[in-house]
Amino acid sequence: MKKNLKGKVLNIETTAKDTVKLQFSTPLKEICPGQFVSILIPNKTLRRPFSVTDFAVHDGTAHSCHSELVSESQKGQNLDKNTNYNGVITVLFKLKGDGTNYLKSLKTGDTIDYLAPLGNCFTLPEKGHKAPQKALLIGAGIGIAPMLYLKKVLTERGIQNLLISGFKDESEVVKGSDRTVIGGSVLDNIQEILDDFKPNIIYSCGPKVVLELVCKLAEKNSLKAEIAMEKVMACGIGVCRGCVIKVKDESQGEGAVKNASVCADGPVFSGAEVIWK
Amino acid sequence: MEIDLKSTLAVDFGKFKLQNPIMTASGTFGYVDEFDAFLDVQNLGAIVTKGITLEERPGNEGKRIFECEAGMINRIGLENVGIQRFVKEKLPKLREKGINFVLNIAGSSIEDYVELGKISKANNIKAVEVNVSCPNVKSGCLEFGTDEKCLYELISRIREAYDGFLIVKLTPNVTEIEKLALAVQNAGADCISAINTLKGLGVELNFNGTKISKSFVQGGLSGKCVKPVALSMVKRIKEAVNLPIIGLGGISCLQDVLEFVAVGADAVQIGTENFTTPDISERLILELAEFIEKQGFKDFNNLKEELRK
Repeated sequence: MKKNLKGKVLNIETTAKDTVKLQFSTPLKEICPGQFVSILIPNKTLRRPFSVTDFAVHDGTAHSCHSELVSESQKGQNLDKNTNYNGVITVLFKLKGDGTNYLKSLKTGDTIDYLAPLGNCFTLPEKGHKAPQKALLIGAGIGIAPMLYLKKVLTERGIQNLLISGFKDESEVVKGSDRTVIGGSVLDNIQEILDDFKPNIIYSCGPKVVLELVCKLAEKNSLKAEIAMEKVMACGIGVCRGCVIKVKDESQGEGAVKNASVCADGPVFSGAEVIWK
Repeated sequence: MEIDLKSTLAVDFGKFKLQNPIMTASGTFGYVDEFDAFLDVQNLGAIVTKGITLEERPGNEGKRIFECEAGMINRIGLENVGIQRFVKEKLPKLREKGINFVLNIAGSSIEDYVELGKISKANNIKAVEVNVSCPNVKSGCLEFGTDEKCLYELISRIREAYDGFLIVKLTPNVTEIEKLALAVQNAGADCISAINTLKGLGVELNFNGTKISKSFVQGGLSGKCVKPVALSMVKRIKEAVNLPIIGLGGISCLQDVLEFVAVGADAVQIGTENFTTPDISERLILELAEFIEKQGFKDFNNLKEELRK
């Protein structure tokens, strides 16, 4: 269930050129890859959506991996004692405007107001699935953000995966991929990779132009594709209809089209359902 | 919310009653209980549904949202499920949950609105808010709400078809709001809500060396930046007519609510702020109740009287 929550900034760092990693505490027990949070920016009308690039719940003892993020003095301070704040949400973003620059200016211990978890999830192969599962992940630019969390969860579930990311130049590279394309397109040599790796599914996030190519590539290779889309949002919960895209409406027969909101029906869509134009 | 606020905050419009003066504005709150994750929708004075047309509408193509200084511009284009689906899918849920609501209706001809009025009556919908910021397709696409004769005719015709609480939501994009408010009163409406969004343009420019890409978002401006315009309009309407007024436009805190009440509003609607602070409307109910008690007013009506002296 989505909620309006408050979290403490646990860590904030610049990890690449104009690329910031923000980690904050959360009482949430579950967020799945693909979902996002919507952060309040003071003096701004619209919250800013960020896909979750990592999420973990720790047991809160001094020896947990949580301790590297939260000092003992911070634990429980100003937080509801009945609420377990041992979850950590990580988001990764490019500095773009007032909102992202505000977030970059935050300090450890500052409070942020966010809505979470929002949106839907990438479809994950079931645990212990008998058929061999192989997933190809493609992250273009900052589109790597949700791919990193997806990769982590796939790996935890024993699903073989390959993450390819692409960046404009060396200075912008975010770590964590199996292969990184610098300069050129993340889709350079992709057919060779497909033929070689033979995935069952492609997951991707990035600019629209890349996602469209990924969907075409999947179709050509008779593969399932799931993509995470991005659009300017107002409400973040499907109410205002500000962030809609066109998708196929199979319930109304062939060729029928309907609107889907990126924030509530998405951000993850099946590659086969999106209408690109 | 635990405090019983019913006696102190109640607003009685005769045909339509609110447990408190805090409503949510059309298009910012969904159809039913979409905000249940953030507050108890049943606690609100009333919600105003997303604008409903006769037929289902897909809304506008292209970019629909543009954030600007202290507000936003939207050009959703009335994407909605249409009255048939509303009656079938949303209305039973509203009633089952005990949510006090106003149906917001929009059309492109007088006949559309009359039909919506008839359907509202047939379904025993207690209150309807008429969006008159829509182009009248038959008469050259001027908006219904910008021409007093056209507005009078529209509201008179809806009035004949619908006998519930009839609210007309006025557009601020006019020269003399008084004339339009009078037309609405003379046509037999029960209440005026003001204001709808202001016409605005968002311009986005991107430079790549000397290569420029630009995009425009022409739509309705809302949010904190419109509040002074809304206050001015509400005050002018109050001075022109005797109808009760629901004030809206940029309300984001208790001070804003009080300002609207001071200039003539009997209830208020919260719009864009729902996106920023999803539980704002419920917070305002509590803050208003606390304020009335702390300051020593008898109830909301007493506060209103004192604010207007």
